[in-house]
Amino acid sequence: MARAMVVAPPAQAPGFTSQRARARRITDKLATAVLWTAASTVVALLLLFIGYLFVQGWSAISWHFLTANPESANAGGGIGPEIFNSFYVLILTLLFTLPIAVLAGVYLQEYAGIGRFRDIVEFSAESLATVPSIVMGLFGLIVFVSLFHWHFSAIGGALTLTLLNLPALMRVTQEALAGVPATYREASMGLGATKWQTVLRAILPSAIGPLTTGVVLVSGRIFGETAALIFTAGASVSYGASAYDFNPFHTAETLAVHLYSTQREALVPDATQIANGSALVLLVMVLVFNVTARVVGSQLTKRFTGKAS
Amino acid sequence: MVAVQANKAHRQERIALAFLMLCAGIFVLAIAMILGFLGYNGTLLFWHDHVSPIEFLFGTDWDGFGGKFGAAPFIAGSLVATAFAILVGGPLGVAIGLFFSELAPKRVANAFKPAIEVLVGIPSIVYGWIGLTLLVPLIGRTFHADGSGLLAAGIVLSIMILPTVISLSEDALKVVPNALREGSAALGATRWETMSRVLIPAASSGLAVAVILGIARAIGETLAVQMVLGNAAVIPNGLLSAASALTSEIVMDMGDAPEGSAFRHALFSMALLLLLIAMGLIVLIRLALRKRT
Repeated sequence: MARAMVVAPPAQAPGFTSQRARARRITDKLATAVLWTAASTVVALLLLFIGYLFVQGWSAISWHFLTANPESANAGGGIGPEIFNSFYVLILTLLFTLPIAVLAGVYLQEYAGIGRFRDIVEFSAESLATVPSIVMGLFGLIVFVSLFHWHFSAIGGALTLTLLNLPALMRVTQEALAGVPATYREASMGLGATKWQTVLRAILPSAIGPLTTGVVLVSGRIFGETAALIFTAGASVSYGASAYDFNPFHTAETLAVHLYSTQREALVPDATQIANGSALVLLVMVLVFNVTARVVGSQLTKRFTGKAS
Repeated sequence: MVAVQANKAHRQERIALAFLMLCAGIFVLAIAMILGFLGYNGTLLFWHDHVSPIEFLFGTDWDGFGGKFGAAPFIAGSLVATAFAILVGGPLGVAIGLFFSELAPKRVANAFKPAIEVLVGIPSIVYGWIGLTLLVPLIGRTFHADGSGLLAAGIVLSIMILPTVISLSEDALKVVPNALREGSAALGATRWETMSRVLIPAASSGLAVAVILGIARAIGETLAVQMVLGNAAVIPNGLLSAASALTSEIVMDMGDAPEGSAFRHALFSMALLLLLIAMGLIVLIRLALRKRT
């Protein structure tokens, strides 16, 4: 957001050489130009990426590609099970993450005063947020794959992603709650509601818009996560009764992991094309998640608070 | 009747609070378990397989099956690629943060902001794919070299840390009180003078946090780096040289290292090292923020 800023004309008072004033003005103009260029360059880069992925990947996309099973040695394989697994792991992850993260966010924002427990929780959340995803993947490998003997499984991958995304979703919750005016709390408690009733019936409903926006944006990141999944959910698909395998204890290669394994070790002759197509699908999903986050978030805000956000 | 209801509400309240604290406690339990399990598995190499930590940290010979566990090339690769990213992406990110906080007209900000959010959302594997198929050939043609190496990894990482640095530095600049801007302008400062001599110093601790979190993102990045780094277990001798990083080596070797082998334990040690670096950065952030208050 731009902030109105008073721009003083460079001092021209007697005693100042006008040459120096000119130099200052030119420096200012130059700096302004540099900042504009920097910001524009980044936006241009994004447009370049999008354009490049579309140009490279468009020819790979077909109904067959999006729904068929992958091939191990022949050309013409699809990414159907991988797309399914990406959504399946995402939903499992949200099932675990959402309740814990939202309630922990409610605790920190509404209940916890200043105190030792709060400090410890916040420090833990910050630490958890900086654990690199490959490190989290190895933790998942140690615990879920080896210790629990689950081998590579959708649920092991989802639990690993849960640990990875708890802090982000807690932060989203805290920010959404912070946006609820204090008067809502006062009015609800003034009517005799307990704190918990206030949270459930007044605060959470009015925070639902920004909360949803945040959750959908984080979902987009979960959808594309790779490093944490290679050694937990695995880099191959299982064919149970059908290609769409709901058993959470079976291996579940997601689309992002498929892009990794295809470019690294695939034997199929059309590996590059499959990778291009997969990259494009991943990009399109990111765009879909971003647009959905905005649209759904503002609709919910309107419905629950009567305000346009 | 009323008393009974009040009693019930009171009990509900206590149960809810206990439940909320339990959920918050899961965060503490999670990081404790990660430290515990990686601390144990990450040190097996030293007390179970009797490899000295000195050899691990400073040795340059790496042969997982041959019992040589010098991880110095990967440590060097990680540090150089991260340093490159922070030297390029850090100032650029802060500059764009300044742009959003001080310069951008509302309409431009509204158009540019979603672009930054999409950049956050693009999976690292897709950054890696763009790097591998677009950037690596470009570098190869420009410098008549192989193309993959530290330069490619550094450029990809610079772009990947931008959203983090931009949004955090924008936040840091926005909380600088307006009185400082007005005071500076009243003294006759130009807009750039206000930015460079008043706002940046005033927001310095927040900007430091932005850069440190950028470092954390860069050093932990795995697949984008693995795809463009060339994956050679040697100490890099230039920006065009192929190298390997802690993260990329883990992802390359983990599938081959048998369970219970010293090879696998060495990879866990590398993960532990990454974890300790990340935790160290968090402590650094705490220190940067404490200075302010």
